[in-house]
Amino acid sequence: MALWFWRGLRKGVVTTRYPAVTDPWARGLPTPPVFDPKRLTVAIADQAVAACPSQALAREGTLLLLDLGACSACGRCLAVAGPAARPSGLFELAATSRGHLVKSIQIGGPAEGGI
Amino acid sequence: MRKSGSSSIGAGLRRRPSVTTEEDEAFARLGEARAVFGRSLHVRTIDTGSCAVCESEIRLLLAPHYDLHRLGLFFTPAPRHADLLMVTGPAVRAMDVALGKTYAAMPEPKVVIAVGACPLGGIYPEDELVHGRLEKVIPVDVFVPGCPPSPLALLQGLLVAVGRLREKVTGFSFSEDFGVLDPPGRIRKGPDR
Amino acid sequence: MSTTLLWTAAACWAAAAVVGLGASKRAFIFLAASESAAGGLAALVGGVLLALSGRPSPELSATGGANAGQLVGNLALRATPLSAAFIVLLGLVALAIGAFAPRYHGPGTGTAVYLCVYNLALLASLAVLVAADVTTFLVAWESMTLACALVVLRHRGRHGTATGALWFLALGEIGFGMVTVAFVIMATQCHSLDLATIAARAGHVPVTWRDSAFVLALVGFGFKAGLVPMHVWLPAAHPVAPADGSAFLSGLVVKLGVYGMALFGFQLLGRQPTWWGLLAMALGALSALVGILYAMMERDLKRFLAYSTVENVGVIVAALGAAMTFASNGQPQLGAFLLLVALYHVVNHGAYKTLLFLEVGVVEHGAGTRDLDHLGGLVHRMPASSVISFIGVLGIAALPPLNGFVSEWMVFQGLFQGFRLPGHVPGVLFVLAAATLGLTAGLAVMAFTRAFGVGFLAMPRSRQAAQATEKGQPLFGPGVLATACVALAIGAPAVLVALDHVVRGTIGVDLRPQLLAPDLVVIPAHTNFSGFSPTYLGVFIVAVAAVPVLLYFLARPRGAARRVPVWDGGMVHFHAGLQYTATTFANPVRVIFQRFYRPDVHIDRASEDPAGRSGPVHYRMHVLPLFENYFYRPVIRFFRRLGHVLGRVQSGDVNWYLFYILVVVVAAYFIAAR
Repeated sequence: MALWFWRGLRKGVVTTRYPAVTDPWARGLPTPPVFDPKRLTVAIADQAVAACPSQALAREGTLLLLDLGACSACGRCLAVAGPAARPSGLFELAATSRGHLVKSIQIGGPAEGGI
Repeated sequence: MRKSGSSSIGAGLRRRPSVTTEEDEAFARLGEARAVFGRSLHVRTIDTGSCAVCESEIRLLLAPHYDLHRLGLFFTPAPRHADLLMVTGPAVRAMDVALGKTYAAMPEPKVVIAVGACPLGGIYPEDELVHGRLEKVIPVDVFVPGCPPSPLALLQGLLVAVGRLREKVTGFSFSEDFGVLDPPGRIRKGPDR
Repeated sequence: MSTTLLWTAAACWAAAAVVGLGASKRAFIFLAASESAAGGLAALVGGVLLALSGRPSPELSATGGANAGQLVGNLALRATPLSAAFIVLLGLVALAIGAFAPRYHGPGTGTAVYLCVYNLALLASLAVLVAADVTTFLVAWESMTLACALVVLRHRGRHGTATGALWFLALGEIGFGMVTVAFVIMATQCHSLDLATIAARAGHVPVTWRDSAFVLALVGFGFKAGLVPMHVWLPAAHPVAPADGSAFLSGLVVKLGVYGMALFGFQLLGRQPTWWGLLAMALGALSALVGILYAMMERDLKRFLAYSTVENVGVIVAALGAAMTFASNGQPQLGAFLLLVALYHVVNHGAYKTLLFLEVGVVEHGAGTRDLDHLGGLVHRMPASSVISFIGVLGIAALPPLNGFVSEWMVFQGLFQGFRLPGHVPGVLFVLAAATLGLTAGLAVMAFTRAFGVGFLAMPRSRQAAQATEKGQPLFGPGVLATACVALAIGAPAVLVALDHVVRGTIGVDLRPQLLAPDLVVIPAHTNFSGFSPTYLGVFIVAVAAVPVLLYFLARPRGAARRVPVWDGGMVHFHAGLQYTATTFANPVRVIFQRFYRPDVHIDRASEDPAGRSGPVHYRMHVLPLFENYFYRPVIRFFRRLGHVLGRVQSGDVNWYLFYILVVVVAAYFIAAR
């Protein structure tokens, strides 16, 4: 008989309660990176853009463009960017428009004189 | 996009005033679909050249742990019976005819979900074998990133498409102040969301 | 009145035979066909009147004068109620074929001879049915066989025609020989040539003589009717005859064999032991199963319909055998019921089989081929013919609400009541027969789904089928038969009342109280068993089918609809070669019954590349013709060898011939001197 049946008898209901509550193991999922603008420099940004195999990162002037749709959570930009990036832990990324998935990060912190 | 508010099922019917943008059109389309579908939906999946890992994750949705059926969503092989088309893969050109016929065979109203990084332009750039982006072939309503998207992400994408969950990604900026670093070299793990 | 009409019919057919000889001109074809059809109408009405009267017509015997009579002796004609059912069928078939012929045949000497011979065959069939004594019957029977052989030989230049006609004639003659012996036995034992007198005196004939007469009649008439293993002329002769010739053969001529069996079984042989009926029933059930199994594997539509005739004749003979068993075992009501059912099935099968053969003729002229694997999509190109064929297919597959369903239902209800018989062996045999006929009915539905589906529906499988047309093709003749099929079903109560008169006139049992309850319900001879109403069933099915149509028209969404192609699985190019063929559709049956079929399968590949790129693959499958190979060919080989041996007597040497003369003279001297 299926293992889940015995597990269910031992532990009770094993169906996830998502979307009411997220599963705890979701913490370990590979997820797109989040960047710290203050620790980001143009050099680091260019290295991250070159490392991405999936065309998810691009630099436009002082903006680092992160395309969440193209990101495959491979982690190469994390290895290259060092303290400037860490995994976001966010996996609920569904979007109704393609534009919502492109995020821009200001390199070097917020620009002087407002955004 | 819409301001944060209640997440009731009729939320999609609220219209934004006057100015028509691309977001408004998409939202209006989904709103009309949500009004028709109500609580139950049939999903047809199609693979336009993926590595089949997204298919594994989709298949897992029927397992008892995620149990898609409790949400009123069912898989069907017949596009004539389908309301929702889940497309994986980078839209290989060889699948143009099949994809076009599948899309045409679905009756209105219909919703298209692009699943994974491939149909969103990741991994495979456009060349003579693939389109790269699914939007070049058929109109897409919901985009679910991930490589592969975990079953939880797929569930969120499906529930967004049927109007039972609000889209969250617009609220994330993916740019934050990390504060003080841990002992040098150690990257602190992110908080739960 | 009925006698007058029968004479009119005979006169019409004789005239049509003469007029038909001028068929080098199209007008003569039309005239001959109209006379043939008029004769058919007269025979139809005359037969109905005769059936309703329930009494035999007055006997007409003509002892020829010195000029003509001595040639054939007495010519005695009397139309009995039993023959009335078959005369009705003869009239219907002649009417339909007469309406079909003008647009089917082209002018020429071949058509002229054909029309003459065909009408003579009609005349001879009528003579068989109204013959009142042995000589008339035998002369009429033989004339009918010869005329039908000439009908088969219409296209005598073509490949296979001579073989088909030879099979027909050879088996017809063997049957005729056995039938003659059977008649001679009864005639000598009863000291009379008159059939009525034989019937009256049959009780005094010793049992062994009657047993042999019955077996000879069963097998002899079985040659003509198409019982297994005497059926082999059917698939040989039907494909080579013209469409209306095949229709006549299957629609009427095999029923004359059934008529002969009914004559012997119910009238000429008096009281009968149980095993006669059981033998006939077993042979009938076996024929039904073998017939439909071979039909399932046929690609040629005419051979397919020929084997289907074998199947239906099996059903009819099984019903006859069961009737005989019931009648001889203290169940006269059930015996009369099953005889009635057998006659009803005779008329039904005549109607839809003739219809189907005529439609195959239309298809052959329209699409240029009879091969199922080259047809398809005809429902779009030939819509009227498709609808008419569909009615015929519904009838022969015994699907409600048509006439095939009603008669099959009645056959099963009769067989299911085998428990009323004393003794276990008859009961078990009845159950086995019912099971066999049930399997046959299921296979028949599948076989005709295959024929209609592969032949008419979906996409055309060849260029000829894609260009099929029904312009200028006959429509009225098949239409008459389709209407008859529907009328025989919805009007079944009326038909059964008429047949009840026939049965009462034949074996003296009146079924009326136990055949039709009020409200048009048919009940199988016992009120506590079962019953259903064909009329109400027909009305009900039409009404139920109309409800969704009505709902659609009332409640359909208004507004523009989007039309897209049929969902084909997203294939880039869906073409006709991807469809089921007739062979693949029947493949499950071939695999299940492969010990019976023993198919010879050859698969040739262009190369051994296993990855699906091996190039064209040729698949050939040939079913073993069991009876031809193991039954007839050994007999034929034996007679060939015998002929070789005897041929040495005809050495051509005059000295041997003189020696033979000497031997014969000496022997004659000794014999005469005794």
